[in-house]
Amino acid sequence: MLDRRDFIKAQAVAAAATAGGISLPAMAQRSMVAGEDAQLTWSKAPCRFCGTGCSVMVATKDNRVVATHGDMQAEVNRGLNCVKGYFLSKIMYGQDRLTQPLLRMRDGKYHKDGEFRPVSWDEAFDEMARQWKRVLKEKGPDAVGMFGSGQWTIWEGYAASKLMRAGFRTNNLDPNARHCMASAAVAFIRTFGMDEPMGCYDDFEHADAFVLWGSNMAEMHPILWTRITDRRLAHNHVKVAVLSTFEHRSFELADIPMIFEPGTDLAILNYIANHIIQTGRVNKDFVEKHCSFRLGQKDIGYGLRPESVLEVRAANAKDPTDSKPMSFDEFAAFVSDYTLDKVAELSKVPKERLLALAEMYADPKTKVMSLWTMGFNQHVRGVWVNHMVYNLHLLTGKISEPGNSPFSLTGQPSACGTAREVGTFAHRLPADMQVTNPTHRSHVEEGWKIPKGLLPGKIGYHAVLQDRMLKDGKLNAYWIMVNNNLQAAPNSDNETYPGYRNPENFIVVSDAYPTVTAAAADLILPAAMWVEKEGAYGNAERRTHFWHQLVNAPGEARSDLWQLMEFSKRFTTDEVWPKEILDANPDFRGKSLFDVLFRNGTVDRFPVSELDPAYENRESKEFGFYVQKGLFEEYAAFGRGHGHDLAPFDTYHEVRGLRWPVVEGKETKWRYREGLDPYVPKGEGVRFYGNPDGKANLFAFPYEPPAESPDKDFDLWLVTGRVLEHWHSGSMTMRVPELYKAMPMALVYMHPDDAQARGLRRGSEVKVMSRRGEMRTRVETRGRNRPPRGVVFVPWFDSARLINKCTLDATDPISKQTDFKKCAVKIVAV
Amino acid sequence: MHPDAQDRLAEAPAEWHIASILVHLRPERSPDVRAAIAALGDVEVHAEERGRMVVTVEGPHEGRIADHMTAIHLMPGVMSAVMVFHHAEPMAARTAGER
Repeated sequence: MLDRRDFIKAQAVAAAATAGGISLPAMAQRSMVAGEDAQLTWSKAPCRFCGTGCSVMVATKDNRVVATHGDMQAEVNRGLNCVKGYFLSKIMYGQDRLTQPLLRMRDGKYHKDGEFRPVSWDEAFDEMARQWKRVLKEKGPDAVGMFGSGQWTIWEGYAASKLMRAGFRTNNLDPNARHCMASAAVAFIRTFGMDEPMGCYDDFEHADAFVLWGSNMAEMHPILWTRITDRRLAHNHVKVAVLSTFEHRSFELADIPMIFEPGTDLAILNYIANHIIQTGRVNKDFVEKHCSFRLGQKDIGYGLRPESVLEVRAANAKDPTDSKPMSFDEFAAFVSDYTLDKVAELSKVPKERLLALAEMYADPKTKVMSLWTMGFNQHVRGVWVNHMVYNLHLLTGKISEPGNSPFSLTGQPSACGTAREVGTFAHRLPADMQVTNPTHRSHVEEGWKIPKGLLPGKIGYHAVLQDRMLKDGKLNAYWIMVNNNLQAAPNSDNETYPGYRNPENFIVVSDAYPTVTAAAADLILPAAMWVEKEGAYGNAERRTHFWHQLVNAPGEARSDLWQLMEFSKRFTTDEVWPKEILDANPDFRGKSLFDVLFRNGTVDRFPVSELDPAYENRESKEFGFYVQKGLFEEYAAFGRGHGHDLAPFDTYHEVRGLRWPVVEGKETKWRYREGLDPYVPKGEGVRFYGNPDGKANLFAFPYEPPAESPDKDFDLWLVTGRVLEHWHSGSMTMRVPELYKAMPMALVYMHPDDAQARGLRRGSEVKVMSRRGEMRTRVETRGRNRPPRGVVFVPWFDSARLINKCTLDATDPISKQTDFKKCAVKIVAV
Repeated sequence: MHPDAQDRLAEAPAEWHIASILVHLRPERSPDVRAAIAALGDVEVHAEERGRMVVTVEGPHEGRIADHMTAIHLMPGVMSAVMVFHHAEPMAARTAGER
């Protein structure tokens, strides 16, 4: 007979064997949980870290999360958990959790240079509303702004969008997803007329070749990486190509490893297009029926301040988005410059590897999946490089079918669901609509039941521009939610911090923890996080998934949704809307913003009696209606029937997420192909229906160099990024003792010869210095990241060592996303 | 401060934790990986098939589990190590069960 220890161990082994598809001697798979755990209440929730969208089972007892494990019923992760996911429950229980509002005060009232003092929510919102009203009166809506996140739940982002655009009448709303995947989102719209991938994670089990363009999935997307690894190990013909500017953990699986010179991915992609054309492997039928060709604008600058010499010198910095039609033959001639010899020399990748890579795309029998994240997106030519990978899939027709899949991964749990689908960017509205399009604005005004002409048509300030405008004193009332921008933003000592401490500005930060950003604010609002509220996220494969509130937030901490809605009560339409609009719409006079935005007959139409009695829902009970359901259903109406169909609200509480468009109760795994996507009419085969002509656009762009390259004074490339143990700025994971202990500080990873040439060795204390700032750390020459000579890598999770003091605030001129991967530094001994 | 906050590492090691980890590795590197895993201590290999290995880790707290999981994830020849099952209980319950 088994003793208890053996019994539990046998369960553990059986669970892992089942998850891995390994056969064991006859052994029934038992419940995932044993002993006392079986008596706990278990509920599902998506992980709140990366964009993969794993589902976890969460156990609660006495209003506390006591255990989590990977959800066996979830298609995404099939019971698996990465190390961050394993510690999910602990992110809520850090020692320094914020539990009450804190205002900078001196002599009993607000003072920019005062000390943080605890205040009530009423006092906090009174001061905040006073500041907002002052700024609106003095300068108008352009001086008010908000910086949100791809970690907002869907309804939080939606409520923020309503409050900013319809309430305060400004589009100065941007998510930190701007730093993360704006380039991907913009290229999707320009290519397909619709955002987000056509394929899904099921492609992992169908592809014959995987190409990682800069992505280090082994550390950043470990659960998806197990699916690629499974496919590679189980099928001998499957090959993996890994491209990066330094060697990292994903190289362990690489059949074709490639280290390239920073920025030359542009040239490599054009070479592959050229190879496909020169070897006669263009899918001519597909290209003729489904593709258009355009010549893009070149020499478009680097998104720096307009007076910067690089912007003045650029020929087309003012109209970077322009393009004009071209023929296939002209496109072929354009890329014919990118020969194997030339590109091998430029990129420093050996010729035979470039050729092997090109063959993965060119061979019609190889199903290929391209994967990328920040390496492509945080790029001064991020939109171009996204276009260029679509060029390869479109030239060969390898798209929109199982295994043939250009796949843009995301770094935040709801970068797709909230930032993109809800439309919290400075230029976007729900369901891919744009603020500059009068028809789109009018459609949103109808859906929101607000007066015609109320919504502003001017694109708001994007992330980096918000920082510049704060510093320049043009943006003065600013609310930051669920993100740590002072740690995340580029060139932060010169371009971010001064704006937060500018005496003209009032800065509010809502967060669960005292981050460096919160410490630089004037008012800190304590936030509820993850399962302390009912939520919804949208992952990288178009999967929308929900969770219930499982525990209460500590102390006075409240969800962002409650904060946004409660704050809206402090404004009346008379205070914030123009006289002409109120004269033309007298019914709206004297109403609170809460009434016109949230008690509009749509958002408040579901009574609290519809709440699931098994779960708490603080916001709904306080406001008197099922807030999340009302907001979701109002929002979902914009996409239904337009290719963004979401299922009814209640469905999502039952299932492990569904991939939109959900038509007649069925999710869509692959878009744009007949038989797989209900939006493609019979007989068309393929239709890229986001564009009116049903065709996808290929763009021709040249190779252009980065904004800043190493020279004799600053002789090394600096690449920033992430590590397995920590998620982004570390504000949650650094508070999990086990994760902190495993990776306590950000090191500078460099080649041993580069270290030796500077009289340094492993462990030496050094300064990383750029033209903009410096950061102190220690040298690592042997770790998991191995840069070639001339390149150093520094992760950015460490709030005590801010590498973004060194980075350059150059952005892609089209997507406005910062290039955190390429600037020049030097390393000196301390 | 969160009322439930506590430093778990400071707690007395009165618990027994066990976890199973699914490891993906290059099959030809299996002997090296097995040797490296054995050197960690408190770790057992239960099955291996086509580059997939089932490993259990035991320890007095979850920090030990996480350390071992990360260490395995970063070993040469290993592609990934992910958690599947985790269970914890007071040491007393375990000993009682063994009797």
